[in-house]
Amino acid sequence: MRRFILFFFTLVLFVYPYPTVAGESLHIAVAANFMQPFKEIAKLFESENPVSVNATFASSGHLTGQIMNGAPYDIFLSADEERPAALSQKGFAEKPFVYARGRVVLWSAKKELCGVSGWQEVVKHPSVKKIAVASPKVAPYGAAAMAAIEQSSLQNMIKHKLVYPENIAQAFQYAATESVDAAFCALSSALSEQGKKGCYFEVGEAPPIVQGACVLMRAKDRQTVNKFANFLNSPEANSIKKKYGYK
Amino acid sequence: MDWQPLFLSLKLAAVSTFLLIILAAPLAYALSLARFVGKAFLEALINLPMALPPTVLGFYLLVIMGPKGFLGRFWETITGSPLVFTFQGIVIALLIYCLPFAIQPMKAAFEKIDRSMLESAYVLGLSPLATFLRVIIPNSISGLAAAAILVFIHSIGAFGVLLMVGGSIPGETKVVSIAIYEAVESLAYREAGRMCLVLIPISYSFLLLLNLITRRSRAWS
Repeated sequence: MRRFILFFFTLVLFVYPYPTVAGESLHIAVAANFMQPFKEIAKLFESENPVSVNATFASSGHLTGQIMNGAPYDIFLSADEERPAALSQKGFAEKPFVYARGRVVLWSAKKELCGVSGWQEVVKHPSVKKIAVASPKVAPYGAAAMAAIEQSSLQNMIKHKLVYPENIAQAFQYAATESVDAAFCALSSALSEQGKKGCYFEVGEAPPIVQGACVLMRAKDRQTVNKFANFLNSPEANSIKKKYGYK
Repeated sequence: MDWQPLFLSLKLAAVSTFLLIILAAPLAYALSLARFVGKAFLEALINLPMALPPTVLGFYLLVIMGPKGFLGRFWETITGSPLVFTFQGIVIALLIYCLPFAIQPMKAAFEKIDRSMLESAYVLGLSPLATFLRVIIPNSISGLAAAAILVFIHSIGAFGVLLMVGGSIPGETKVVSIAIYEAVESLAYREAGRMCLVLIPISYSFLLLLNLITRRSRAWS
């Protein structure tokens, strides 16, 4: 019995979360589409500052819900402007600022579709049986894709082909693994290493995605947080964004 | 409130339970009888879906049911349409996910059957199949009912696996667990709350039924 208690307390001692890094850390909520450019930007920031940047990638809707329920993030990088604005209005965040402008494209891993003239022809193509669109209620890129589909009056024609993953990164993953024949995803995914193995089509009808960010009220070390927020629009960060198709 | 996801969940659970009990009963019976080398390994393999995180299962199911996986390609050659992201696809996913919940109670029930009853049946001229249908099944019915209820409950509650291989298509794969999740994600808390309130009494009554059945069978043995 005594040995059991001793073992139990030793276990608790090891499991207790001790702070491991002496420096500070930032916790950032990032919309799934911005994952790859964000990782590069974060690495660059870490090399110039004694801070470790920890990011969580999920759909904007998912992250907003978490923030409203007290998730400990310092900054929120959304894929739209509405959500940061709503958080700011409700008192969870400071005034939002734009950090990137993205575009939604249609991407497919199937090389035989690359010659097709436009995205409408791709979605109507008989060999395209399943198309992934990120759930429009939680992912702004998915909402933009649905808007493009509705504007082209294709909704009824392709409704039976649509599959709704939770976020834009999962949509791209479905297409990259060919679980679906094509997916509406962020231009940055199409320009990534994996994306270059397939081909993408511009979706002109989709509204441009203006991505807003906001510093959250919960953030403790405002100096570092604001430094990062400004870094997002610095020339170095901008060149990284441009590489991934953001403006 | 949108009732479609709930009806879809109930339909999915009914179909999966029906198919799984029929498919798993012979397997459970074989396991209860046979003693062979490697039996422990086979049993652990069958129990694997219970131990793995549902997302692991979902990930592998997506691979094998997808257009490049062996199950997906097999399905496509037979039916001409893809298996992944369809109702049939999630039924198959649930058959694998719920297999251990079907096998365990049935195997336990079969093991409790008195061997002398079986021997009498054989002596009286019944074939093994007839013995199975007319002697074994009636005498293990409470175990079968327990297995059916467990599979049903786990089918309604399945989330992680279906999130990976379902694609959340309304009317086809958007079951109530996923609908609740999406409602929470899009901050529609009232809608989510309503669906939860409807689901709780349904699941509870099945659990109560399970309790009554198993208690009754314990009273007899």
